[in-house]
Amino acid sequence: MSTQVATAGTIQPRQYHGVLDWITTTDHKKIGIMYIVFALINAWFGGSLAGMIRLNLYNPDWHLFSPQLYNQLMTMHATIMIFLVLMAAFAGFGNYLVPLMIGARDMAFPKLNAFSFWLLMPAAMMLYGSFFVAGGAAADGWWSYPPLSTAQFSAGHGEDLWILAVLLLGISSIMGAINFLVTVIDMRAPGMTWMKLPLFVWSWVVTAWMLVLAVPVLSGALFMLLSDRWLNTGFYRPALGGDPLLYQHLFWFFGHPEVYIMILPGFGMISHIIPAMSRKKLFGYKGMVMAMWSIGIIGFTVWAHHMFTAGISSTARVYFSMASMLISVPTGVKIYSWLASVWGGVIRFTTAMKFALGFIFTFVLGGLSGLMLAVVPFDILVHNTYFVVAHFHYVLVGGSVMTLFAGTYYWFPKITGRMLSEKLGSWIFWLFFIGLNWVFMPMHLLGIEGMARRVANYRIEFRPLNQFISEGFIFMLAAGLLFTYSVIKALREPKSAGDDPWQTNEIETHFEWATSSPPPAYNFEEIPEIQ
Amino acid sequence: MEHASLASSAAAAHAGLHADPSEHAPQPSFWPILLAGGMGAVVFFVFLVYLGVPLAGILLAAAILGSLVAASGWANTIAVERRRMDPVQTNKDLTRGFFFFLASEAMIFVSYFEYLYYTHFTSAQWPPAGMPRLETTLPGIATLILVGSSFTLNWGIHAFLSGRKSAAKNWILLTIAMGIVFLGMQGFEWGFLNGVMGFTITTGAYSAAYFLMTGFHGAHVTVGLIMLGLVYWRMEKGEYTQQYHMSLKAAEYYWHFVDIVWVFLFFSLYLFQGH
Repeated sequence: MSTQVATAGTIQPRQYHGVLDWITTTDHKKIGIMYIVFALINAWFGGSLAGMIRLNLYNPDWHLFSPQLYNQLMTMHATIMIFLVLMAAFAGFGNYLVPLMIGARDMAFPKLNAFSFWLLMPAAMMLYGSFFVAGGAAADGWWSYPPLSTAQFSAGHGEDLWILAVLLLGISSIMGAINFLVTVIDMRAPGMTWMKLPLFVWSWVVTAWMLVLAVPVLSGALFMLLSDRWLNTGFYRPALGGDPLLYQHLFWFFGHPEVYIMILPGFGMISHIIPAMSRKKLFGYKGMVMAMWSIGIIGFTVWAHHMFTAGISSTARVYFSMASMLISVPTGVKIYSWLASVWGGVIRFTTAMKFALGFIFTFVLGGLSGLMLAVVPFDILVHNTYFVVAHFHYVLVGGSVMTLFAGTYYWFPKITGRMLSEKLGSWIFWLFFIGLNWVFMPMHLLGIEGMARRVANYRIEFRPLNQFISEGFIFMLAAGLLFTYSVIKALREPKSAGDDPWQTNEIETHFEWATSSPPPAYNFEEIPEIQ
Repeated sequence: MEHASLASSAAAAHAGLHADPSEHAPQPSFWPILLAGGMGAVVFFVFLVYLGVPLAGILLAAAILGSLVAASGWANTIAVERRRMDPVQTNKDLTRGFFFFLASEAMIFVSYFEYLYYTHFTSAQWPPAGMPRLETTLPGIATLILVGSSFTLNWGIHAFLSGRKSAAKNWILLTIAMGIVFLGMQGFEWGFLNGVMGFTITTGAYSAAYFLMTGFHGAHVTVGLIMLGLVYWRMEKGEYTQQYHMSLKAAEYYWHFVDIVWVFLFFSLYLFQGH
């Protein structure tokens, strides 16, 4: 290998135009934008499925959908929202922001980065296409538990396509995560020591580690499931000495870290937005880093709290119950640090700040119901009811989606050079915030009353509350419409945002606000430095 | 965070990179989208083959071929770009990325080991009723051969680093031969269990675990052999220097990884049978 002598000059990326520019790009900013747009489009599909679910539950006597189709809608709603919306959106913000924040020109492996994104396409095509194969899409929930997911009970090929698509998504996530880790380890700007890393970058380091260690276990479990379906093996078949319970262990060994994979980058975003909007430095930086690592590590040791009623030993129940409650300690550290960051600050109630503060409120509610579910006797009482549905929607919608809104409002000027309308933003926040509490809060009651989840029908006395919930969905839908309109409207305006529209760098230096909006090719004229 | 102020003003409004060309400045490329499409097609056509769709086999072969072309095109682009970039940094990045990749590979094996031990400890006897005890003599010899091949590879790399290139090539050839012998012995055992003992992948959870774990490991040995073959070829062409031989190191790490996994596998499947 030759080592040429470097000559000074200007390097420009080779230019393709139009569509070719996007499909050949290895620029982390363009790939990040594609991830985010992909997530937004899929949010519309996944949200439409949610709307169909709510329409069906408004009055089951209408028999809008067969129970089988209802189960397909519910399964695909979860799969799309988890893999194609939340993970893709956070990967998008991570791609866009991590190299900027650490003062790098790009990710360590720019082509691998593009590959991770493009691998989402065949997976998404297989997922959506599975609605049209004989037997329809997968209908056994996003866990795909055997024996329900075996060839005997899920004969349709939608299940096969679902498994193959999730395997592809797994490869994409692992490759993306490796890229993040190497980028942060090797490409930080001079002077940016580990304990000077911005918290969003830290959150992606922890998340990437979890992806590298958790996703392969899902791949292994799904590979065995596919083998049971295709090769007639007995991995999960009791008649041949296999055990379906083991699938649950393997699945949740992935599935619980996955929960944190979907919220930690959001934590990172909030840790930027709250100090910037309070005109203060973040309270307790070191504690925040430790808390994220604690969540990341303890997150690997609590998986069987999803299996309290599946037939695990009482000793295991006690352990998993206590370990799960332990997670509330680092989470509490984060919540209190955010509150302490607001305390005494000069607060600007921008839309980003509204979503950030709203997030704290709704996420704490989701965390509290999580604590309740970690208590074994209570969990036995409400398992598989709408209480569980309420809980995880409070953490995923009230948590992850709220942070994504906050992050979008905060970094949109950097990504596009244009401001989103604050006036519309206020409407969007209140519609969404009211809507999500309207929809998900009554589900706690339904759950305690005993309404089963994942069923297309319910007892007649649950009807008034279900109709109330379905009406609340209109608020969330309106927020989504208005948000999409606001984004499109902003994109047609001139680029007038300026380098640092929130004056973040007056309080504390962040590289992403030091470059232009949007940043030029290769981000910085010269690699910045921390003294 | 206690950030100090920026040392240099960051980007100016005009795009571009005023710096030496060795800097990390990625160029656009068609290979990622082609490889992603190729891999998606491979997975989809495997599904069509499973469904028995006519001509699916040909499509699958075409998709595999296309993916291989895309992967080689990609590798070639990297090789060209690296001539411009800082080789020390690039090699450091690639080595680190490769380690994280191995960590994720290890986790796939962990899921299979978890499967095996869970089945082991929840079944009334082991091997389960009606299942044969696995013979350990032949696999024991195969284990010694595979473990030995880790040593021969290391001697080869040592020879290369101390400038004895032909000795290095011989050691690598020996390593490849030992890997092939290992695969042959594994194949013989599969044939014996399948044909003579009637112990097939569908016999039970135990046999399924056995064939999955040895098969998945065997696939990794095969990949390792391909890597060693490429290493031999590149060494022959003189593409490695004392300082820059990233793919040689990668093949070495991969081979040791495969070897270590086998030691765990040998213990868990063959030696830990009685109870």
